[in-house]
Amino acid sequence: MKKLTRREFLKLAAAGTGGLLLEQMLSACGMQPPVSAPLPTQTALPFVPSDGSQPLPTETSTPVPDLVVVRGGEPEDLVRTALAAFGGMQAFVPPGAKVVVKPNICNAYNSYEYASTTNPWVVGALVRLCYEAGAGSVSVFDFPFGGTAADAYQRSGIREQVEAAGGSMQVMSNLKFVRVDIPNAMVLNNTNAYQDALEADVLINVPVAKQHGSTRLTLGMKNLMGLVQDRNSMHAIGLGRSIADLAGLFRPELTVVDAVRILTANGPTGGDLADVRKLDTLIVSPDIVAADSYAATLFGMAPQDIAYIVQGAAAGLGRSDLNSLNIEQIQLGG
Amino acid sequence: MNSKTPRKNPRGRAWVLARRITQYAMLAVFCLFFLMSRRDGGWPPELVNLPFRLDPLAMLAHLLSSRTFLAGSALALITVGLALVFGRAWCGWICPLGTTLDLIPLDRLRGDRRPPAEGWRQVKYLLLTATLTAALLGNLTLLAFDPLTLLSRSLTAAIWPGLDRIVMAAEKLLFRVPFLSGPVADFDAFIRPALFPAQPVFVRDALLFGLLFAAVIGLNAFAERFWCRYLCPLGGLLGLLGKLAVFKRTVGEDCPGCVLCTNACPTGTIDPQKRYASDPSECTLCLDCLETCPRSRIEVNPQLKPAAWQPYDPGRRAFLATVGLSASAVALTRAGLLERREPATLIRPPGMREVNADVLAVTQCIRCSACMRACPTGALQPGVFEAGLEGFGAPLLIPRLGYCDFSCNACGQVCPTQAIPPLDLETKRLRVIGAAYIDPHRCLPWADGNECFVCEEMCPLPEKAIQLRERTDGQGTAGIRVPFVDRDVCIGCGICEYQCPVNGEAAIRVFLPQVPIPF
Repeated sequence: MKKLTRREFLKLAAAGTGGLLLEQMLSACGMQPPVSAPLPTQTALPFVPSDGSQPLPTETSTPVPDLVVVRGGEPEDLVRTALAAFGGMQAFVPPGAKVVVKPNICNAYNSYEYASTTNPWVVGALVRLCYEAGAGSVSVFDFPFGGTAADAYQRSGIREQVEAAGGSMQVMSNLKFVRVDIPNAMVLNNTNAYQDALEADVLINVPVAKQHGSTRLTLGMKNLMGLVQDRNSMHAIGLGRSIADLAGLFRPELTVVDAVRILTANGPTGGDLADVRKLDTLIVSPDIVAADSYAATLFGMAPQDIAYIVQGAAAGLGRSDLNSLNIEQIQLGG
Repeated sequence: MNSKTPRKNPRGRAWVLARRITQYAMLAVFCLFFLMSRRDGGWPPELVNLPFRLDPLAMLAHLLSSRTFLAGSALALITVGLALVFGRAWCGWICPLGTTLDLIPLDRLRGDRRPPAEGWRQVKYLLLTATLTAALLGNLTLLAFDPLTLLSRSLTAAIWPGLDRIVMAAEKLLFRVPFLSGPVADFDAFIRPALFPAQPVFVRDALLFGLLFAAVIGLNAFAERFWCRYLCPLGGLLGLLGKLAVFKRTVGEDCPGCVLCTNACPTGTIDPQKRYASDPSECTLCLDCLETCPRSRIEVNPQLKPAAWQPYDPGRRAFLATVGLSASAVALTRAGLLERREPATLIRPPGMREVNADVLAVTQCIRCSACMRACPTGALQPGVFEAGLEGFGAPLLIPRLGYCDFSCNACGQVCPTQAIPPLDLETKRLRVIGAAYIDPHRCLPWADGNECFVCEEMCPLPEKAIQLRERTDGQGTAGIRVPFVDRDVCIGCGICEYQCPVNGEAAIRVFLPQVPIPF
């Protein structure tokens, strides 16, 4: 074999060192220093503390409800009716907006009938409404813990409906988890969060309502855990408060709780139809805490029973006092 | 180079070109089968294991060992037929490992070194004899040295995961450059999960399997195609059939003898002492000799007379000694003198263990790694010596590295020999492969009284094999529930062990159950 001269050896060594330095330099001065969380954007309804001392906006004659509950119809009709009550999807999605829809596709085990993944027609209808409102792009993704993403997208039926609606179903890439600081966090001061969700113009959070061993229920705020990489450490520092911190980080513009079918036991994975109840219900609100609070009542629980709802309300992310909310109840189909 | 080599024979050039194209095409096809054997969006499982069904050594050994005839293994008769017509043309034209060895010839390292003594050529026949003798006695361990399984295992356990890591590192670096992050993200979405798994797979012994493969290639430094000349048991089998082959290389009467072909022959079988004749058991019909022959005196003609037994071919004595030695070796491993007691972590893919006896892994597994390639979580890993010598290369399930996906039955579907039974998804979901046990000294709620429920959350069973309950022994923190495993329900899928947030070894681990696995 050819022998290296000293000169060649030194050149190679210099090139190697240079490469390493470049890598270090890029990471240091580079493009993705810890991104600060976007400042809380104004959601459709500003948060007003419900201490009862001042009149709430709901008590004035505002035509826009805080929360809409629709019952008794096909999933797509539930979605269309609920959004119409808010004045249509254009109230949330400006023309040309980059929209991310985040359903719960936490495993690849069973189809939507088992209520461990979001109803595919609910997701599909949301994608369609976004495009009708003039959205520039609509991406849908989740990070399953059981089975591969591709498999979970398929078995849940969500891929089929999203693609039929013209949306893009993406497998989440390890590249796009960026370190972000969460200002004013209670416990979760920083985390690796998914860039596309952070940078989306509009984030629509579409959990399925189901029982969950540790947090009792998994709803809208809990569903945001699919957008961060290290979920195990969140268990160690306290799920209630760290989930509330996540809600403060992502601030979804709209939360749609799918209660077409709910899983009442053995969640979050399920697998037994005896644990599933068909409610044909959809809860929609720009206020994630309010949506979760109402959804808790479907399981016969009060918002105060769920730690992350309590923490989210305390952190000022939304309202859990259902009596103070302007709730519009709509029954379809008689 | 060109200045040293004389003018090439045009007819030979065309043939060599045709051979190279065939070789690269076959290597590409093998790699395509490898790529498409992933689970998400790949080809159907009964198609992706086709290369192994074409391998007569693996199929014959499996037939002898399992005493079961699999219809698909009849495809190997194609290769046998090819050998009966064209001898070892498989080795020269088709074998993907042979082509890899041609692509990495290491001739500069070799220099003027003389090849080993001719007697070494018999090693491949003796390895073949040992493989088939052991197979007859119900042991397929030596199939780890079949060229197709060797290449497949090296790709699965070392090359592909290594490439994945390198590509990921490059992507991570380039992703930080502002104007490149968009294209890099698009590129990443293009290759994952299409070429590489979306989540990286960790192979425990990647270095070992990588080094084994490097060693097979490294032997090229001692002789061109060292592996094919001296060691390959499949080459031995095809070489024996090649003695009967219809078409054999012949040299014209008027050859003046210029030694060019002898020097060009990659298997070194052209003997100037015997008027440049070659041994059909060694000749791969590569036609490099024809390319160098200035007078085009080399032909491949039909010759019905079987080729002669060569002095370096094994004699009756060596053959009998090999049969005896391999029989004793199988008996020794069977007697358990060489192995430890079976470790409790010896988890096999679903259905591979019968009535608590680890038989299929030894008698039916051809060590092809197809199951490990198909496993979406990287749970299946090639065994080394965990199950004794005879378990080498058979799949083990390592829950801390990957779990048995409740929505997957891919391993049994791709297995070309049904060593992992082809269970339908519903049956596979209920097949017990192990049982989870909690280590109360390390489990967060048990040991420290802290809240943690990951294992219960992850358990995929509809009735949850892990239950959270308050402690009844009066210890622990009030209000903190601790996990209990219901081992009548647990199937041993290992997702609890995989996801357990305790650092290092998990606080919940899957072992073989205390009671025999129902089958």
